[in-house]
Amino acid sequence: MSEQESIVFVVDDDPAMGVSLESLLRSVGHSVMLFQSTRAFQQAPRPDLPACLVLDVRLPGQSGLEFQRELSRSAHPPPIVFITGHGDVPMSVAAMKAGAVDFLTKPFRDQDLLDSVHRAIEFDRARRTRAAMLAELRALAAAMTPREREILPLVAAGQMNKQIAQALQLSEVTVKVHRAQVMQKLRAHSIADLVRIADRLAAAERAGQAEDTRV
Amino acid sequence: MRGCVNPYETASARLSPLASPPTRHQLRLAAGVAALLLVALAATTPYARQPTEGTEALLPAYAAAVFVIELLTSALLMALFHVQRSRAMLLLAVGYLFSGVMVVPWVLAFPGAFDALTGGGATQSTAAIGAIRRLSFPLFVIAYAVLADRELPPAAAYRAILFSIAGVVTAVALAAWLIVAHDDVLPRLMIDARKVSGLWRFVPAAAITLYAVGLIALGLRRRSMLDIWLMVVLFTLLIELVLLSYVSAGTRLSVGWWAGRLYGLASASLVLLVLLSEATTVHARLARSVLAERRARQNRLTAMEALSASIAHEVNQPLATMVTNASAGLRWLKHEQPRIEEATAALGRIVAEGHRASKVVASIRTMFLKGAQERVPLDLNGLIEAVLAQCQDEARLGRVSVSTGLERDLPPVIGNPAQLRQVVANLVENAVDAMRGTARPRLLQVTSRRHAVSEVVVAVADSGTGLPPVDRERMFEPFFTTKPDGMGMGLMFCRAAIEAHGGRLWASDNTPHGAVFQFSLPASAAMPEATGPEAGGPVR
Repeated sequence: MSEQESIVFVVDDDPAMGVSLESLLRSVGHSVMLFQSTRAFQQAPRPDLPACLVLDVRLPGQSGLEFQRELSRSAHPPPIVFITGHGDVPMSVAAMKAGAVDFLTKPFRDQDLLDSVHRAIEFDRARRTRAAMLAELRALAAAMTPREREILPLVAAGQMNKQIAQALQLSEVTVKVHRAQVMQKLRAHSIADLVRIADRLAAAERAGQAEDTRV
Repeated sequence: MRGCVNPYETASARLSPLASPPTRHQLRLAAGVAALLLVALAATTPYARQPTEGTEALLPAYAAAVFVIELLTSALLMALFHVQRSRAMLLLAVGYLFSGVMVVPWVLAFPGAFDALTGGGATQSTAAIGAIRRLSFPLFVIAYAVLADRELPPAAAYRAILFSIAGVVTAVALAAWLIVAHDDVLPRLMIDARKVSGLWRFVPAAAITLYAVGLIALGLRRRSMLDIWLMVVLFTLLIELVLLSYVSAGTRLSVGWWAGRLYGLASASLVLLVLLSEATTVHARLARSVLAERRARQNRLTAMEALSASIAHEVNQPLATMVTNASAGLRWLKHEQPRIEEATAALGRIVAEGHRASKVVASIRTMFLKGAQERVPLDLNGLIEAVLAQCQDEARLGRVSVSTGLERDLPPVIGNPAQLRQVVANLVENAVDAMRGTARPRLLQVTSRRHAVSEVVVAVADSGTGLPPVDRERMFEPFFTTKPDGMGMGLMFCRAAIEAHGGRLWASDNTPHGAVFQFSLPASAAMPEATGPEAGGPVR
C-alpha cells in the first residue's frame, strides 16, 4: 500500500483505542505515530511526508473540532479523518465543512477507515506535489527582471513583438532579446509552453495572495 | 437546601393559610382592626343621637352590599368546606348564608324603604327579622367554635352543601312569610317606624351575651387564622350593636345607627378581603409548586438523557476498540506470511477490552438496577474503612498518605451499601488523582462526624491541585472532566446517589491546598444496637 512513503498520525485519548487503530493501520502497511493529546501531537517533531491525521472528536481539554480550527490556520495542515463515539449530524456537518476528509462513528468498518485514510494521504500527496511545482515555478519566476515580468503576460496574451514594443515603448529588437531571456529562464520550449507556464504562475500568485490575506 | 419539615404534615396548612395557626403578623393586624373600631366608636358617640332625614333611600344600597358580601363570604367558606370537609366550617358558611339571605326580607319590610312594593304598615316585621338575624349569627359562630373538626366523606360534602343552601333559602322564605303575614301578633318591639319599645331591650342584651360567649369560645380555641378573623367580626358586631341600641338609644336612621351599620359593613368586607387574598395566595402557591414540579421533572429528564448518553458512550468505547482490534487481527492473519504475533496481541487487547466493557456494565448495575432501591442500616465508618482498604494499592502507588478521623458511635444511616461504597470510592479516587502531579506532601484525609443531631457528614480532603476556579458547579454535570482519561461521570453519579439518599454533596477549598468533598446523609433514628448484623455489611 505504501509504495511511496507516507505517515498516519493518530490522536486518541483512550490508549486502548489508539493502540488498536495503530495496529489496524500498520497491518495494511501504514507508518503510524500515536499521540494521546493534541498538545503531544503539536509538540512532537513530525516527518515531512504525505500525511493523514486520524482525530478523536472528544478529547479532554480541547475538542477535536476546536483543534481542527486551530490547525487550519497553520501552513499545510494534514487532512483530517474524524472518529467519534457519538457523532451527531451537526457535528459531522461542521467537521466536513471545515474540510475534514471523513467523519466516522465508532465502531466503524475497518475498510471505511482505511479508504478514508488512503484518500486523505493521496489528497495530501497531490497537494504537496502541487505545492512543490509551484515553489519551483516561483523560483524560476524570481529570476526574471522587472522588464521581463512586464513582457511575459503580453507574450502569453499572443501579442506580436511589434505590438509589445509599441506598448512598452521599446525597440522590437529589445523585445526579442527579453522574450528569449524569459523563454530561457522559465525553461519553456515553445510559445505554447510559455503560455501554460504563465497561466500557472498567475494562478500561483493569486493563490499566494489569498493565503497572505488569510494569515 | 432541604428543611427538616415533613411535607405531608403541613400539606393541608399549606393548601389553606386560613386553616393554619395565626401568624404574629395576622394577630397584630386583627388587634389593629379592633382598636380602630374602638376609636371609631368613640369618635361617633357625641353625634350618635342626631337623627337623619330621608336616608331610607340608602337602605337598599346598604342591604345589597351586606347581601353580596355575606353571600360571597359564605361561598368562599363553602369552597373551603368542600376541600377540608369539616362540619364546623359548613356550619359557619350556613350562618353567613342565613344572615345574608335574611337581609332581603329585612330590607323589604323596612318601613319607608319599599313601601310602594310591600304596602308598608308593618312596623314589627323588620325588627323581628333583624332580631332573628342578629341572634342567629353568633349561635352559628359558637357552634362552629365548639364543634369538633370532624371530616365528612368526600361524596357527602357536595350533598351537604346543596342541602344547606336549599335549607337556608327555604327557612328564610318561610320565616319571612310567617313574620310578615302575622305582623300584628308579633311582640311589640317598635313603638313606631323609628323608635324601639322597651321590649327591644332584651334583644341587644341577648345578642351581646351571645357575642361574648362566641368571643370566649373562639378565644379559647384560636386554632386558625379564620378563628382570629371571626373574633374580629364578632367584636365588630358587638360595637355595631352598642352603637345601634345604646349609644343611639335605639333610634333608627340616626347618625349612630348608620355609623354602626357602616362599621359592620367595613369589617365584613375586611373578612371577605382576607378570605379572597388568602385564596389568591393559595392559588399562587399552587401555580408555583406546579411550575417547580414541572421544572424538577424537566431537570430529571435532562439528567437521565445525559446519563443514558454517557452510558452508551462508556459501553461503546470498549466495543469500538474490540471491533478495531478484531479487524486488525484479521488483516494481520491475511498477510501472505500471517503475522501471528501481531494477531495474538490484537486478540489479547480484545480480551482486555471485553473485561473493561463488562466492568462498565457492572458499575451501571450498581448504579441503577439490581438492589439500587434496597436500603439497609449502614455503619458509615465501617464502609469508609472498607473502601480505603480497597484503595490501598492505588494510594501507595500514588505515594499518598492516608489518614482517617472517624467519629466514634456515629449513628447509622439508611442506605444502599453498593451505591454509597461507590460514592466514597469515587471521592477517594478523585482525591488521589488530584494529587498525582503535586510536589507537596500528598495527604488524603477522610473524616466522619455527626452534625446537628440528625445528620452525618463525611469529608474527603486532599492536598492536590484544588478546585478549578470557575467550574465549581459544572464539576457535578455529566461529561465534565479535568482528567485526561475521565468520563466526567463520577461526581455526577456521586451527587445523584447522595441526593437519592436525602443528603447533599458539595465541594470547597481545603487549607492551605487542595479540595474537600463533603456529603451529608440523614442519620437513622434507629440506635446502632438495633441495626442487626447487616450494619457491618460493607466490611469484609
